[in-house]
Amino acid sequence: MPLDTSTTYPLTKLRLDGRRWNELRLIQAQISTNPASSGSSYLAMGNTTILCSVHGPAEGRRGDATGGSAGGSGAVVEVDVNIAGFASVDRKRRAGGSDRQSGRIASTLRSAFQSHLHTYLYPHSTISIHVSVLSADGSLLAAAVNACTLALVDAGIPMPGLLCGCTSGMSGSASTPRDPLNDFLDPLLDVSLPEEQELPFLTVATTTSIPTGADEDDDDMKVAMLTMDSKVHHTYIETMLAVGVDGCKQIREILDGVIKGSSRR
Amino acid sequence: MASSLPSLAIPGQRLGPVATYAAGPGTHVHHSHVYASIAGPVFVDPAQAKTQTKSTITVSRTPRPAANPTTTAAPSSKPKYNTLPAVDAVVLARVTRVQKRQATVSILVVLDESAASKALNPTQPASDNDNIESILSSAANPENHSSADELRFQALIRKEDVRAVEKDRVVMDEMFRVGDIVRGTVISLGDQSFYYITTARNDLGVVMARSEAGNMMFPVSWKEMRDPVTGVAEQRKVARPF
Repeated sequence: MPLDTSTTYPLTKLRLDGRRWNELRLIQAQISTNPASSGSSYLAMGNTTILCSVHGPAEGRRGDATGGSAGGSGAVVEVDVNIAGFASVDRKRRAGGSDRQSGRIASTLRSAFQSHLHTYLYPHSTISIHVSVLSADGSLLAAAVNACTLALVDAGIPMPGLLCGCTSGMSGSASTPRDPLNDFLDPLLDVSLPEEQELPFLTVATTTSIPTGADEDDDDMKVAMLTMDSKVHHTYIETMLAVGVDGCKQIREILDGVIKGSSRR
Repeated sequence: MASSLPSLAIPGQRLGPVATYAAGPGTHVHHSHVYASIAGPVFVDPAQAKTQTKSTITVSRTPRPAANPTTTAAPSSKPKYNTLPAVDAVVLARVTRVQKRQATVSILVVLDESAASKALNPTQPASDNDNIESILSSAANPENHSSADELRFQALIRKEDVRAVEKDRVVMDEMFRVGDIVRGTVISLGDQSFYYITTARNDLGVVMARSEAGNMMFPVSWKEMRDPVTGVAEQRKVARPF
């Protein structure tokens, strides 16, 4: 019997790493790990481990094309993602230092944080974020978003709320329309690398719930980032999104605790 | 709103309605509520009767020395020197290079504004701490120039910032010499490498200088200093002595 999620999950209702469908992996995080930078963080989601450091807001580099024109109205966010050669199972030797995956993560993070942060407070400046992936075990983008948020909070850069990312997938290929009578597929929260390679998944990031109306607890989650690279039948999207957004909510509470715990010290 | 404020805010945390609070530093307004923008302790400054009607809510990055959030007492134990140069701060700087359009100086001592006003008061001179004295006594001596100068904050005095009158007639060589100690105020934080300093005030300019012969000179007018041994006068932009 092949040991993969799509065959074992319907039998056991447990995933390969023993989680149920709605369980996050263990999240451990620290803030201010690197005193040399303006803000820094360490975040581990299961076996995905990320170090993030933020420099700035600092004056944009001279001769930088973005520093003069685009930086006029607000700070420019620069993101640099480095996936260590030893991060995944097979060691990679790369000449350039950046590959397609890290480039995509960097550009997604850049556009997410560029529009998220209060950059208008820092005209003509640059906020540079450096993300180092020490160990890659799925949900890289989501973990990077969370690590960046912690580092930016540590750097004291104003933002409307915490940006928290999470992934969600389906426990099968989900390529045919969903049958409400015979629905055997479960959504999976926080996918790991084997699940990511096998199953369709999406990454979603939300900002702090924004209360609407007069009711104090009437929360409205705001999706700030949503990416999906795999194919899935559109009838499953809503379920996956709902699970992902709920995961973001759980992660926000964890990050809240990390920030509060580190400020107390 | 009756609910009490959190002692520690997280970005995105709602602090109160705009109707009762004004948004201070570290907060922003969204959907007519004040939210925290940064993580840190929350302070409420009560309304001053004349200037504002609402209490200002502030999120700071570091805890204030006064732990009581309702008092607005200014922190009294501010260091008097060795702070970062800020705009309007009075600084003492040593001239390291004189060029045609500007003089390069390295900042030795920064007096912040409250300390500077005291320092300008003759009853309490600026040298009430030994640190400044020790720096300055070694400073005006040309032999003492060390590489430590380069580690200090660098600043520029541009030609047009030397004095307030006849700006276009300024000749930098007749205003400063390398090794002079200059009192100036910061006009701009400048760029990555230099602060900008002005001496365009009567009480700003060269305060200590040595003559070509190497003797400490005393000021005789606003643009002249004299060597007590040889009697030779040299031109400087002299600060008014107290």
